Amino acid sequence: MINAVKLERAATTLPPHGWRLLPMRFHRLGADSVVLTNLVGEHVFVTPDELVGVAEGTCGDQDLLARLRAVHLIQVPGETLPAELLAIKLRTRMRRLPDSTGLHIFVVTLRCEHTCRYCQVSRQSAAKSEFDMTRETARRALDLAFRSPSPHLKIEFQGGEPLLNFPLIRWITAEAKRMNAGHGKDLAFVIATNLALLDDEILEFCAEQDVHLSTSLDGPQNLHNGNRRRPGQDSWQQAVAGIRRAQERLGPDRVSALMTTTEASLDRAAEIIDAYADLGLRGVFLRPISPYGFALRGRGGANYDVERWLEFYAAGLDQIVELNRQAVPMVEIYASIIAKKMLTNSDPGYVDLTSPAGIGIGALVYNYDGDIYASDEGRMLAESGDRTFRLGNVHSSSYAEVMLSDGLLRPLTESIALSAPMCATCAFEPYCGADPVFHHTTAGDFTGHKALSAFCRRNTGVFTLLLRKMRDDPYFRDLMRRWAQ
Amino acid sequence: MNPAGGALGAGAGAAGAGEIGAAEITLIFDQATVDLDALQRSAYAVAAEMTVDIRVSGADYACTLFPRDRHPNDDDLKHRFRAEVNDQILRVRIAKETEPLRNLVFALAFSQTGLIEGDTEAGTEA
Repeated sequence: MINAVKLERAATTLPPHGWRLLPMRFHRLGADSVVLTNLVGEHVFVTPDELVGVAEGTCGDQDLLARLRAVHLIQVPGETLPAELLAIKLRTRMRRLPDSTGLHIFVVTLRCEHTCRYCQVSRQSAAKSEFDMTRETARRALDLAFRSPSPHLKIEFQGGEPLLNFPLIRWITAEAKRMNAGHGKDLAFVIATNLALLDDEILEFCAEQDVHLSTSLDGPQNLHNGNRRRPGQDSWQQAVAGIRRAQERLGPDRVSALMTTTEASLDRAAEIIDAYADLGLRGVFLRPISPYGFALRGRGGANYDVERWLEFYAAGLDQIVELNRQAVPMVEIYASIIAKKMLTNSDPGYVDLTSPAGIGIGALVYNYDGDIYASDEGRMLAESGDRTFRLGNVHSSSYAEVMLSDGLLRPLTESIALSAPMCATCAFEPYCGADPVFHHTTAGDFTGHKALSAFCRRNTGVFTLLLRKMRDDPYFRDLMRRWAQ
Repeated sequence: MNPAGGALGAGAGAAGAGEIGAAEITLIFDQATVDLDALQRSAYAVAAEMTVDIRVSGADYACTLFPRDRHPNDDDLKHRFRAEVNDQILRVRIAKETEPLRNLVFALAFSQTGLIEGDTEAGTEA
């Protein structure tokens, strides 16, 4: 036995210059630590001196060399298996690409009874039914959605407040299920609603048709109601009551909530997390405000920079970890998406963190008037006069015209991270995405200058934070592994 | 196959860096040890903090730094740029050394996907 171990060690001992580098990228996590990533994002922490030793071929630390071999960062000359394994893993990560488009967003009305300070769309008063989607438009949109090769179709109802056009939601759901009899796709439905209009009829419909509810909850009552205004100033009360009713009728996992960070949120991360835990919600998505629509106005809530948001995010993550230590299960959704990308070979396909970008091939948006957009943010831009991401109209455009349109292919090809300056050599490229809508909005082109990009600073900050915590805290690393499953 | 050329440790590449002109912040890099590509990548990467003018000066590259901050700390700025250059030198070397393998991995990954005409999951048709 001892001889076998000795033989094994002898067989794997690498002399100086006894290995070849495989494609690797590095990022400094501080003065004493560097993370190395391979083509698919598997990673190893080293010191700066170790990085130099590995690159120059002088490293004598056999344990480190063994770890580098294990994640295909170096190989022994003559080996072919590492390249083959990397190729399989790369193909696994990209397997979603031929199966576009999984998410289809139906804007069934622009009407809304809220006047949220950060609203990104051109909301209309609840009485103006001319801003409702018609059945004919919905039918045409369904025809396009079912042309998608994806075996999974998620139909998400958005607004405005989509429940103001509930009869159309009911009709689309029934029609989609009828059409699916001939397609056999895995069909899912989500209503993105503020829950203020939730009643027994809608709950019964959701229960019968297996429809999920996604709502907005910005945290404690005064924070939420300050951001999300409606007559009576009772948005929080309505949302909380709706969440509880939905949990009771549909089950705890059939209703989820999202928050939006305004400057009023920044010092209240722990309170926000606790508000979610008090309601029995098991996930929080700590989201920065998006640079579109009303959010950009002085009172829109976006008056903070990336560094301040990262402090908020770190504080929120700490509180979530603390709750988990106390056996209160809670997930930070963004971290869980990144955990999948860091710790597995699958890509969750989250639209903002994919390259090629998720626009069009990850999601399509059908506006109330039939216009088709490459993303929800693209629709928001159009509301302010920029129709760059309008791909056509359901009444006049074929599926091929939409998916092969210049308006989709140009931003997709121009923003691919693997060929973008800085991204191509960035250690975080396998975790990150291309966001051509964001960069078109903030920089005037689809790629942006990443050294000046808030998208890059924010995501680099989040990746760095998560990696440092995984490096330093075994409990957090285990938590990330659980979130990655 | 390991990177050829100068050392990669602290100060490498920028080891010969010096200054010209009292008012300007200029760093000198020896063309024998520093690729123009690495300098250009460095200038791009630090664009949020400074812009950089790169000129050929005899056997050297002269990089003049223009800080965006109105009251910069000159030493911090020089250290920042030198550190970035050192990292970019290493990135360029690794990229050059591993490019054939990178291309091989991508070729393997995207073959047999069924995306290319005449190419099936079972294998590429003759």
